[in-house]
Amino acid sequence: MQLIIQNLNKTYSNGVQALKDVTLTINQGMFGLLGPNGAGKSSLMRTIATLQEADSGSIQIGDLDVLVQKEEVRKILGYLPQEFGVYPKIDAVTLLDHLAVLKGIRNKSERKGLVEALLHKTNLWQARNKNLGGYSGGMKQRFGIAQALIANPKLIIVDEPTAGLDPAERNRFLNLLSEIGENTIVILSTHIVEDVKELCTDMAIINKGEVLYKGSPIDAIAAVEGKVWKKRIAKTELEEYRKSFNIISERLIAGRPEITVLQEGQPDNTFEQTQADLEDVYFTHIFGNSKKEEVA
Amino acid sequence: MFKDIFLFELKYRRARAANYIYFGIMFLLCILAVTTDVVQIGGAVGQVKENAPIVIGQMVVIMGVFMSLISSAIMGVAVLRDFEHNTEAILFSTPIKKFSYLMGRFWGSFVVLLLVASSIPIAFMIGDIWPTREADRLLPFNLITYWTPFFIFIVPNMFFTGAIFFASGALSRKSIVIYTQGILLLVLYLASQSMLRDLEQKEIAAMLDPFGVRAFSFYTQYWTPGERNTLQIPLDGYIIYNRLIWMGVGVLVLIATHFFFSFNVVRNSIFKSKAVKDERLLIKPEETKIPGAQQHSGLSTSFGQLLKLTRFYFKMVFKEVPFLAIVIAGMLLMFLNAMNMNELYGTSSYPTTYSVLGLLSGFNLFFVIIAVLYSGELVWKERAVNLNLIIDAMPMPDFINLISKFLGLLLVYLVLLFGLIVCGVVIQAMYGYYKFEIGVYFSSLYSETLAFLVLYTLLSMFIQVMVNNKFLGFAVAIAFFILVGFLGQMGLEHPLFQFGSGSLGTYSDMNVYGHFVTPFTWLQIYWAAFVVFIFAIAVIFSVRGSESVMNMRWKAGKLRLSRQLILLIAGSVLLFGSTGFYIFYNTNVLNDYTNSEQRKDLQVDFEKTLKKYEFLPQPKITAVDLKVDIYPSKRDFVAEGYFILKNKTENPISEIHIQEDMTPGNTTEYLKFDRKNGVKEKFDKFKYTIYSLEQPLQPGDSLRMDFKTNFTTQGFVETGRSNTQVIYNGTFFNNQYFPSLGYNNGGEMSDDNDRKEKKLPERERMMERDDPRGQNMSLFGDDSDHIDFNIQVSTDKGQIAIAPGYLVKQWEEGDRVYYNYTMDAPMCNFYSMISANYAVKKDKYHDINLEIYFHPGHEYNLDHMMEGMKDALSYYEENFSPYQYKQVRIMEFPRYASFAQSFANTIPFSEGIGFIAKIDDPDKDIDFTYYVTAHEVAHQWWGHQVMEAGVKGNAMLSESMSQYSALMVIKHKFTPEIVERYLKYELDRYLSGRAGERKKEQPLEFVEGQGYIHYQKASLIFFALQDYIGEDSVNAAFRRFNKEWRFKDAPYPTSADLLKEIRKVTPDSMQYIIHDMFETITLFENKTDSATYHEISENEFEVSLNVSAEKVRADSTGIETNIPINDWIDIGVYGKNVAGKDSLIYLKKHKITKKENAFKIMVTSKPRKAGIDPLHKLIDRHSSDNTKGLVKK
Repeated sequence: MQLIIQNLNKTYSNGVQALKDVTLTINQGMFGLLGPNGAGKSSLMRTIATLQEADSGSIQIGDLDVLVQKEEVRKILGYLPQEFGVYPKIDAVTLLDHLAVLKGIRNKSERKGLVEALLHKTNLWQARNKNLGGYSGGMKQRFGIAQALIANPKLIIVDEPTAGLDPAERNRFLNLLSEIGENTIVILSTHIVEDVKELCTDMAIINKGEVLYKGSPIDAIAAVEGKVWKKRIAKTELEEYRKSFNIISERLIAGRPEITVLQEGQPDNTFEQTQADLEDVYFTHIFGNSKKEEVA
Repeated sequence: MFKDIFLFELKYRRARAANYIYFGIMFLLCILAVTTDVVQIGGAVGQVKENAPIVIGQMVVIMGVFMSLISSAIMGVAVLRDFEHNTEAILFSTPIKKFSYLMGRFWGSFVVLLLVASSIPIAFMIGDIWPTREADRLLPFNLITYWTPFFIFIVPNMFFTGAIFFASGALSRKSIVIYTQGILLLVLYLASQSMLRDLEQKEIAAMLDPFGVRAFSFYTQYWTPGERNTLQIPLDGYIIYNRLIWMGVGVLVLIATHFFFSFNVVRNSIFKSKAVKDERLLIKPEETKIPGAQQHSGLSTSFGQLLKLTRFYFKMVFKEVPFLAIVIAGMLLMFLNAMNMNELYGTSSYPTTYSVLGLLSGFNLFFVIIAVLYSGELVWKERAVNLNLIIDAMPMPDFINLISKFLGLLLVYLVLLFGLIVCGVVIQAMYGYYKFEIGVYFSSLYSETLAFLVLYTLLSMFIQVMVNNKFLGFAVAIAFFILVGFLGQMGLEHPLFQFGSGSLGTYSDMNVYGHFVTPFTWLQIYWAAFVVFIFAIAVIFSVRGSESVMNMRWKAGKLRLSRQLILLIAGSVLLFGSTGFYIFYNTNVLNDYTNSEQRKDLQVDFEKTLKKYEFLPQPKITAVDLKVDIYPSKRDFVAEGYFILKNKTENPISEIHIQEDMTPGNTTEYLKFDRKNGVKEKFDKFKYTIYSLEQPLQPGDSLRMDFKTNFTTQGFVETGRSNTQVIYNGTFFNNQYFPSLGYNNGGEMSDDNDRKEKKLPERERMMERDDPRGQNMSLFGDDSDHIDFNIQVSTDKGQIAIAPGYLVKQWEEGDRVYYNYTMDAPMCNFYSMISANYAVKKDKYHDINLEIYFHPGHEYNLDHMMEGMKDALSYYEENFSPYQYKQVRIMEFPRYASFAQSFANTIPFSEGIGFIAKIDDPDKDIDFTYYVTAHEVAHQWWGHQVMEAGVKGNAMLSESMSQYSALMVIKHKFTPEIVERYLKYELDRYLSGRAGERKKEQPLEFVEGQGYIHYQKASLIFFALQDYIGEDSVNAAFRRFNKEWRFKDAPYPTSADLLKEIRKVTPDSMQYIIHDMFETITLFENKTDSATYHEISENEFEVSLNVSAEKVRADSTGIETNIPINDWIDIGVYGKNVAGKDSLIYLKKHKITKKENAFKIMVTSKPRKAGIDPLHKLIDRHSSDNTKGLVKK
């Protein structure tokens, strides 16, 4: 099964164009959607999750037209929105069971087993009878993950799932995802590059509604391998360097800026070559390109 | 130390927002109560000004009862909060004395509580200078009015309740106690009201009521309008005892608190808390396998989801604290109203299911609040908690979300309605009424009320979806209700415009829901179609996902337009349109539609155009011969026949003025005279025609007027205006449906305010007693004196048709039954036509046939009625004159009206006032059915044998004389105790009646349609009269009066003629009572100050009494002046009879000439109590202090 997105466009009523001619093909396995805040990741995911209309374009999963056959899509969908809340006066078991009913699981004992397993899996068993209103941010996030896994979805869309999780929980969750991702389409949006690097066989970088890159993380890294240069400079020199080099990222190390430049060949001998990283790919697409546009 | 804690408490409380909120709530409630109709507590009636001390006092006292909820919140936490905030350990380890701690906290909180409570008088003060108040309904501003009840009632109440709540908070150390104890106290208090009400001794009730409400009402119950406007609430009598008792209780509670309060931090708990098992180690998330689960879809899955969600939302609503608060508040208000049910429902003292249903409808306001609020809450639930994207991505059909929310609310309503039924039954049981008609509860609440809830909920959900903003949605919903009300005011009263219109009307055992069912059903279908349509629209536009812009919602919504949904929309539109058309066809095409303003204008126009003809001489009807065919199943009748009109004046009459009846549906097919005539003028609008005779009708001459009247019910009209006289079962109408002669002032607008608004002059209630125009017409109007009467009535087979007269012939023809009734002697021009499915009970008294026509199943009181008829006939024949007919018939009619009425040999009797009445204790309670029967039979003498003139004082001749006659029957039938109880009840009703007089109180001889005078006061006065001058003498006067006026045509007697006869039989020494009783409003203030006795020997006892007696005259507003006393008044002494009950061992009239009097009386057995006017023969506002228990000296 493949998810095929073609020429998807969406402009909000306030004039912001959230999706610009997005075309993507997503195969089974983990698919990472990278992009800064406001890039259109959530818009794209909501549209795939049948919760938002598109102005034009199409989304196809298997034989289903996502934009029209919404109900059919929802049957195979597991969705974790970026931000969500819960009914505060209800405990986790009750709400999960409730959601399982909505997912169409009619058999009561099946539902019970499923809910228990999900609570175990997300390490919420201990807190299962506590009102959800009393959950911490991380617990709530785990609850969100649990509900997205109800009924073995064929399409899992998780929007920034690792936000708010501590490192151990994050690991556990990513493992869980990769376990499931073997025969499922899992779309994972994040602005944490690490997540994608560790998990995804395929990815896309999107910014301002446009797909800037699509392919596998490994290819992406390979494409910039040998072109990434670093230099630590003084704060006062920053403007100068910005003008002369294609800086893809700037960061402070011990108070002094370190700039990363993408270039074929060493810019000058003060720059050191570094091992290319997915993060560099990311910054290359996000900032490198924009710079080019401006210049052009 | 006390001072520090006290001041700290004040400082702490000053910073708490809750106190300001409490103040605000009470303030707002009080302001709304006096400036709007939204909140109703107490209020002024008639001549009493809106800010009269008693009115303000009542409102302050009632609000003070509700203050106990706040008292619970403020006083309860005074100590508890140390435990809640875990500061007790710190605090109790300091060297504070327990006394200082408790008292400091108590008094500090108490001062805060009083400050909050001061919102009540402050709000009323501001409310009274509010610019929208009408100055002519207010007294000049007086500060004392507002603060006296505050200090007399609120302060002690707050002290008492505060002490209890403080104690329970300090001793229980549980916050749940704080939340519930206020409500609990209030509920217990309200529940205890029924017990207090039933207490024979109102004095004891006055003492026992912890809030002083009963002491207050007991003290002020008989204040006249004049007194209500002038007297301040006194700290006097039972009020002061009551206050002292309950403040004393408060002090005791505080002492007990100090005694039991422990300064230890840890108390041994009875329950050990359960150990929490740590399962953390047992679970290995990594190793857990997620099991597979079968995912279903399709109709049955959707249905399962619908059920689940419905249950889910139902539970969710019930978990909401505000919801529970609204429900509790609504129920409380209902119980509060239940306390006043007697006052609310006038004469009926039984909480019948219908009247309780009326009470329960008070909850409708809370239903509207719940419907609007929770339809909004549920529509927004997921979005409010931000769970919407998850839920929206679930694979359930689009409509399930909204429908399940609606069904969840529906379930809430079903439960609440059931709760209301339970409340209703509890209220009935509270009053000791056990005839629970559960079926009627269900069929009313689960049809009418539920329909209204469904409509409002769907409408409100639609608004929420379309507006897509919760608070704006609430605002739009409220604006919608206001708009609907406004439409009504603008004259768009038509049910098609009034959202949710249609009602089931009044329920009757005889006619069940009768013809109301049809319009109700159509209107419900009409509105249901409407809300289904808008609900379907809501389903299309409901937000699923993150799109909130209308065109995007439409884009998503288009996909939801399944065939079924389109069919539903088309179907509902079609149904809405066609039912709307059908209703319009019924109300406006088949029937004439007018709104209330148009009707008022017609009345004004009628009066202005035709009043000039009011006293125009007209011939009188002397004979009536009719054929009336009643078609109950169609609700039609046809009447055809003739009147003989005779010129009884001394001048020829050349114009005949005919007023045709203006009841909708009633038309005159033809009307002709047996001599040549022309139409001089015709006022179609008023159905008034002036015929001019070519040959004037000479004095003494007669002519015949033939006419045919068709009353046709076509389709249906709005429920409120539908005809309840010609109905499926229990048709009862009278000759007002037939043409009448000349101008009828009954068509004029009578309400003084309406007349003022329409610039019509104020109207006297009746003509003066000496007005010859009035003396020349009888109480039945000026159309006729006496008539010869023959009538043929027919009805559908299965029913019996009845009219005055004797049955001379009865036959069947097809599916019709015919009856021919003829009266063998002249009777008054007032006759009824009745048709219903009756069972008949027959009996005989001498040669008089007695018949009761009743609804099968209403057999309860038939024997009492029979007995009543027999005893009444016997007494009246013996004492007044022979009965003029050979038959008395009583027939039941539905409770659309609740009266019994005497026609010649015919007494229609409402099912509401006797047929289903239950006499609980025949030894204690007066048999009301028996009594009403006797009263109505008496009208055959007083009203039928002797017709009185239509002037002031007329009711003294028919109603009061019947009242006396029935009372004499009662007196000979029942024990003196029952008569005494009855009279006490009459006294109470008279005194309360005059307290609510709207225009002016008249002495009995000039009574102008004032029931509390011509019924209640008359009972007391005539009973006293026969006691003073003897039953035989009164009867002799009645007999002579009867003899002189029996069967006479005009002129008719007035109250002066009866008084003349009464004077003749009254000894000179007693003549003064006639002036006191009939010609003036005279009251007494009799009291026993001290009563002792001295045992001389075993059968010789000397009783010493000090009694005071005062006599006052009241003017028409109730302002009193003392007059010298020179009256014969009973002095009585009670002993015990063999049965151990009180019985009079001495009763004698003594001449009393001064206020203070001392008596020494010798009796032969051991006296128990004694006093002045022990049997309450005189009108005395404090009748319970007339006797006193005797103390041995």
